[in-house]
Amino acid sequence: MFATERQVTGLARPRRRASKGLITVGVALVILLVASAVLAPSSISQGAVLGMLPFASVLAVVGLGQMLVVQQGGIDLSVPGAVSLAIVVVSRIPNGDDSLLVPAVLLAFGFAALAGLLNGFLVGRLGLNAIIATLGTNALLFATVLGISNGSPTTTTRLLQSVAGGVSFGIPHSVFFAAAVAVIVIVLVKKTVAGRRFEAIGANPVAARATGLRVRVHQTAAYVWGQMLYCIAGILLAGITAQPTAFQGNTYLIPAVAVVVLGGTSLLGGRGFPLATVVAAVFLSQLDQFNLAVGVPYAVRTLVQAAALAVGVALYTIDWSRVRARFGSSTKSKPVATTA
Amino acid sequence: MTIRKRFLSLTVAIGLSAVALTACSSGAPGADEPVPTGTVAGAPSWCGPKQITLGLLDGFGGNSWRLITTAAGADEVKKCPSVTKYEYADGQGDTQKSISDIQGMVAKGVNALVVFPDAGEAMLPALRSAYQAGVVTVPYRVNPGGKDGVDYDAWIGADFTTDGANWAKWIQTNLPDGGNILFMSGPKGNSQGEDEYNAMTGILDPAKYKFIGETPFEPTNWDPALSQQVLTSAIAKNPKIDVIVSDFGPSLLGALPEFQKSGRSIPALVTSDGNSLGCFYEQNKAANPDFKMMTVATGNDNVRLAVQYAVAKATGGTLPSTTKFEAPVFEDSVSGTPNPVECKSDLPGDIFLSAEMPAADQAALLNK
Repeated sequence: MFATERQVTGLARPRRRASKGLITVGVALVILLVASAVLAPSSISQGAVLGMLPFASVLAVVGLGQMLVVQQGGIDLSVPGAVSLAIVVVSRIPNGDDSLLVPAVLLAFGFAALAGLLNGFLVGRLGLNAIIATLGTNALLFATVLGISNGSPTTTTRLLQSVAGGVSFGIPHSVFFAAAVAVIVIVLVKKTVAGRRFEAIGANPVAARATGLRVRVHQTAAYVWGQMLYCIAGILLAGITAQPTAFQGNTYLIPAVAVVVLGGTSLLGGRGFPLATVVAAVFLSQLDQFNLAVGVPYAVRTLVQAAALAVGVALYTIDWSRVRARFGSSTKSKPVATTA
Repeated sequence: MTIRKRFLSLTVAIGLSAVALTACSSGAPGADEPVPTGTVAGAPSWCGPKQITLGLLDGFGGNSWRLITTAAGADEVKKCPSVTKYEYADGQGDTQKSISDIQGMVAKGVNALVVFPDAGEAMLPALRSAYQAGVVTVPYRVNPGGKDGVDYDAWIGADFTTDGANWAKWIQTNLPDGGNILFMSGPKGNSQGEDEYNAMTGILDPAKYKFIGETPFEPTNWDPALSQQVLTSAIAKNPKIDVIVSDFGPSLLGALPEFQKSGRSIPALVTSDGNSLGCFYEQNKAANPDFKMMTVATGNDNVRLAVQYAVAKATGGTLPSTTKFEAPVFEDSVSGTPNPVECKSDLPGDIFLSAEMPAADQAALLNK
């Protein structure tokens, strides 16, 4: 009975059930929106939402990049350097000249590819610890940032401001970019052969190698794709903030990991949840906006974010059935005995 | 084996004597002998006759404001021919390096040190030991703690209460009936923002002028992205914002258009100057009837006063009359005095037209 049912769902129609992560962050977002409407109506006014969405989009793109790396059991701590480098390249190289914007964007992607290959080589090929290797790459990226900019990226070009920071049909452009990125990631990972292999390798690299998959190539690719997405995020952020700093990426290190975790992707690798990651990015950004609107002091704002992350991690990593069993042991002692 | 040992001891001996020699030469320069006083023909009065070596130390040299400030310091040094040698070191945001930079300069035997003590009180022991070694030590801008004449010669700080007072006076003049003020500053608890807030509240009548948002200021870390988020929320929350006060104007460039997105005019802005901000004003004033702007100088020339003081003290020149740098009012879009809002659209956005250094020279510096 059990076996046949599984077969049917597996073959006849692909699993369409929403993931646990998507349900969790989705519900959290709805609760947050309701709380916003009740406690701080100004935080869901049109202006506030339009102001929040660009940053949510940037965070979503960064988060999707990090998710690809996390799926391979890795972690990418070069996000701050990567985002900052993209910002510096697309603002400093054109230096106000719109005609140089396209070459600068291409150059930014070139740098991103190099950084990704370096991370991939260090982690995928040489087997270095991902934390150490990507931190090193982060330092290298910041060295490049300072080398190019002397620490000041200057104002972004007018063209980039209108492309990345503009609004069409009442929706900020960055939302379209983030949506496109999300669709591409979902299709590539979930609907292509390479994507399925990619996910299989993340779930179990040893088994994947045994079946003849090219584990190292896919692991390296994760870092390269990640860098590409950080680069897109950096370019968007440059346009949104108009006069960015050279260290603008620094604030994305923790949130990038947070949205991946909140979205339900395991830090040990395996299945990725792109849609849940995007929803988590909106959730975290709206949480910021909510805190600002309620007028929570700055110190408490940081605590609330940390608490959200801790709760997110706890939701997925703690074995709740065991917790329930332990706390319910006085009334139901039998199940505990059997599981133990 | 013995040869190697002998060679080793020889190396050690040479090394030790080198250290001893350096120590001798650096031993309290100018501390015992009285500094001859007087002036040098053709040089400013702060330039005395005694020949010296001067070191300029930066805690963090990596942004356009610092580049221009450093160049301004070097430019001021050049005005005095008695400074025969000029050295520069950048702490690169690393407190440990900044401290060893000071120690290195003292060991090399500089006579005067001008220091940007970014790390604040963490720099005090190094400053004190330089001062006690007889080097004229002048920290500037950031307060390192300690006392003039005890831990260093003099701290040439920026007087941020002057900025606050200038802003408050402008607000009184241009919004005589009162209004809602949103004050945005850097990291939570930074003394600059607190000084400015206290100066403003000392002048503005609390019955008429209301500070909205967190007091003393909305923390933005001087980060454009955070500024934008804070301002977005403030716009949604407060139907009426009459004036925005910010102690780092250019960080608001991405944030100000949020007003237009909400269908409101950008309100009055009192802040510090920047070329990009001036150009932003020029481009947006027509579409925003309430947009008026007043700026104070960002203070690149603070370093000049510090250099003057250090050189005067070490060479025997006339000390400047003040040890506080008071940033002057720079632009006022309403009265046009001392200057109307300036925009040099052909030059980089992150130059500071309020600085003494010509705009073209600043641009050349940044484009290097």
